[in-house]
Amino acid sequence: MKPIDEILPTAPVIHVSPSPHLVQTASSTRRMMVDVLIALVPVVAMSLFVFRGYALFQLAVCLGGCLLAELVFVKMRGRPSTLKDGSAIVTGIILAMSLPGTAPWYVGTIAAFVAIGIGKIIFGGMGMNLFNPAMVGRAFVMISFAGALAASGFEDVRSAVDAISQATPMNAYKINGVVTPLTHLFWGTTNGSLGETSALACLLGGLYLVIRRTASWEIPAGLIAAVLVLGGVADLAGPADGWTVLHHILGGSLLFGAFFIATDPVTSPLTPTGKFIFGAGTGMLIMVLRLFSGYPEGVMFAVLFMNALTPLINRWSIPTPFGGK
Amino acid sequence: MNVDDEKNKSAGGLKSSNLVQAWLVLVLAVGFGVSLAGVQLMLGPVIEGNKLNETLEKVPELVLGNLLAAKMAGENQTLEIVPRQVTVEKPGRNKFYSVYEARYQGDLKGWVVKTKGQGYADTIELLLGLSPDLHTITGLFVLDQKETPGLGNKIITDAWRSQFVDAPADRSLVVIKTGASRPGEIDAVTGATISSKSVTAMINTTVGDLRKPLTTGPSSAGKGGKNNG
Amino acid sequence: MADLPTATERFINGILPENPVYRQLLGLCPTLAVTNSLKAAITMAGAVGFVLLCANVITSLIRNLLKPHLRIVVFTLTIATFVTIADRFLAAYLYQMSKTLGPYIPLIIVNCIIICRCEVCASKQSPLVAATDAVGQSLGFGIALSSIAAIREILGTGALLGLRIMPASWPDWVIMVLPPGAFLTFGLLLGTVNWITARRGGKKTA
Repeated sequence: MKPIDEILPTAPVIHVSPSPHLVQTASSTRRMMVDVLIALVPVVAMSLFVFRGYALFQLAVCLGGCLLAELVFVKMRGRPSTLKDGSAIVTGIILAMSLPGTAPWYVGTIAAFVAIGIGKIIFGGMGMNLFNPAMVGRAFVMISFAGALAASGFEDVRSAVDAISQATPMNAYKINGVVTPLTHLFWGTTNGSLGETSALACLLGGLYLVIRRTASWEIPAGLIAAVLVLGGVADLAGPADGWTVLHHILGGSLLFGAFFIATDPVTSPLTPTGKFIFGAGTGMLIMVLRLFSGYPEGVMFAVLFMNALTPLINRWSIPTPFGGK
Repeated sequence: MNVDDEKNKSAGGLKSSNLVQAWLVLVLAVGFGVSLAGVQLMLGPVIEGNKLNETLEKVPELVLGNLLAAKMAGENQTLEIVPRQVTVEKPGRNKFYSVYEARYQGDLKGWVVKTKGQGYADTIELLLGLSPDLHTITGLFVLDQKETPGLGNKIITDAWRSQFVDAPADRSLVVIKTGASRPGEIDAVTGATISSKSVTAMINTTVGDLRKPLTTGPSSAGKGGKNNG
Repeated sequence: MADLPTATERFINGILPENPVYRQLLGLCPTLAVTNSLKAAITMAGAVGFVLLCANVITSLIRNLLKPHLRIVVFTLTIATFVTIADRFLAAYLYQMSKTLGPYIPLIIVNCIIICRCEVCASKQSPLVAATDAVGQSLGFGIALSSIAAIREILGTGALLGLRIMPASWPDWVIMVLPPGAFLTFGLLLGTVNWITARRGGKKTA
C-alpha cells in the first residue's frame, strides 16, 4: 500500500494522533502537571482560608480517591503505574475545588472513582479521554446526589465557617434576586464550590498558566469574550436588577472553569482557531444555561458539551497546509 | 413450495399479479385483524374501567383521609361518586375541570378535583380533595409528574403531601423555604422550590376557579340530597 | 437443513453463547429504556418472550408458503398482532406496569430480536425448533435485562423489586435510574462479559 498522500497529493491530510502534547516524553507531562499544581496554589490556599476544615477534608477525600482509583484501574489493565505523571493529583485537586465543602465523604469518593475510571481509564488512560475527567466525576455525583450538590447542599446554617452559612451568590440571585457585592466575589469570601469563590486566586493561577504556556490563552480569552458579549446583551435587554456582566464573570465558577477546566489540553482542540472557538462556545453555553435553565450555574455542563464537540472543531479548523488550496 | 406451485398453476395467467402473490399476506391480515378485534372486545371494557378506577379509588382517602377511608373499606361501605364536568370561564378561553362529587348516604362529603399545570420539568397532574364548603383541603395526590428525580419528584411523598391535608382553602397557600409554622404555609421540598411552588400555585388557582361553580350551585347538591333521602 | 442447529443447541445458544443483548447487541431500545427497575425489566422480558414465541411458531408453520420478497411483511404483520395483544393484556391486567412501560411495549414491533429470530430460525426450521429457540432467546434477553435492571435499581434506589436491601444510610445514586445510568451500566456489563469470554478463550463461542 502506498501512503495516502502519494495517491492523492492535493488532498489535505491530517495525521490523527492522540494528544500531541504527550508526544515528547513522560517528563514533559510531569512538567505540565507541576505547572498546573503551582497555578492551583493560590486557589487552594484561598479555599483553605475561606472554608478551613471543609476544604482540607474535601481535598483529602478527592486526592485519596483519585490516587487509589488510578492505582487500582491501571493495575487492572496490566500497565505500569502512572501515578508519577501527576495527572491523578491534578484531577483530584480540581475535583475537590469544584465540589461544595459540605458534600459528604461518599460524594468525593464516588466522584473520584468515576472521574478516573469512567472519565479516563476506560478510554485508554491519560491523553485518550474525550471528556475532562474531573467534570465527568462531578457530573455523575451532581445528578446522583442532587440534594447534596444542588444549591441548598452548599449551605449549612449551623456551620462555624461564615461562608458556609450563607447562600451561594449564584443561588441567592437565581432564587431570591439578591445581588452579592462585586468585592466579595473578587476576594472570594462567599459560599460556593471550594475553588470558585475567589476571582483573584483564579486570575493569579490562570495568568501563571497562560504565561508559562501550559494553558493556551485562546480558550479563556474566547470564553470570557463570549460571556462579556452575551452578558452585555443580557444587561441591556434584561431587568436592571443589579446583576451585571461583571457579576457574571466574577461570580460562580466561571474563572476557575475558564483557566483550569476548559484548558485541559487533552479535551480541547489543537489549533489556536479551534481553541478560540472552543472557548467562545463554552462561554456562550454557560450564559445560556445561567440565563435560561433551572440551574444557577452552567460551567460544568458547558465544558462537557464542548468536549464532545472538540473532534468536530478540530476538523473545521484544520490549517491549510502550505501550498494547499 | 408444493402448495404454492399448485396454486400458481390453477391461477394461470394471474400468476404474476401482485395481488395473487400476496394472498398469504392478505389472509394473515384478515385473520389477525379478526383476532385483534376479538381481543379488543374482550379487554376494552376492562381497560376503560382501569383508567376510571385509577381516579375513583383515590376519592375516599382524599375526601375522608386515610384512616376513615380504610375503616369504610373494612366495613364494606362505599361512597357514591358522581363525576361531572365543570366549565370555568376565563378571559379568552374556557377551562374544564373534572370534579368528582363524593356522597355518603346522600350527604355531600366533599369534592375531588382533577387538575393539571406546568411543573419544573413537565406537566404535573393532581387530584385535590376539598371539603364540601370549600374551606379546607382534605387531601392531595399526584397522578402524574416527571420532576427531577431526587429533588422535585419528592412532591409525591406522603410526608410532603400531608402538609396540604387540613390546610385552609379559603386563602392562598404560600410556599416557605424552611420552617412553615402557620396554617396556609407550605414547606418547599429542599432544593426543589420551583416544583413546590408549581403544585401550590395549581392548587390555589383550582380552588379559586371552582369556588363559585361549586358553592353557588347548591341546587344540584340539594337535589341529590333530596333524591337520596 | 442438516447443518442448522438442533432444538437443544438453539435453546442453549440463546441463553449465553448467542445472547441477544450481550452477544448480538440486539433489542437495545428496551435494554436501555426500561431497566430502571427489575419489575419493569421482567415484565418487558415477559412481553418480548410471549411475542417471540408466538411469532416464531406462526412463522415456522407457514414457512413453506413464504415468498422471499414478501417475508418481511409477513413477519412484521405477525409480530405487530401479538404485540398489540400483549399491550392490551398488560393494560387490562397490569395497568400500572403498562403505564410505566408506556410506549416501549408497542415498540416491541420494531425490536430486532424478534424479526431476527423469524428470519434466522423460524423461517427455516420446524415449529418445535422455533419454539425452543424463542424460549432460549427470551431467557437470554430476560437475563440480560434483569442483570442491568438489578444493578440500576439497587444502586439507584437502594431497593430490589421495591424491597429495601441497602442500609438506610445508603445514598441513592439517582443517576443510575436516569438514562445515563442505563448506558453506563450496559457498557460496563458488556465490557465485563466480553472480558470473561476473552479470558475463557472465547474464540469458539465468538
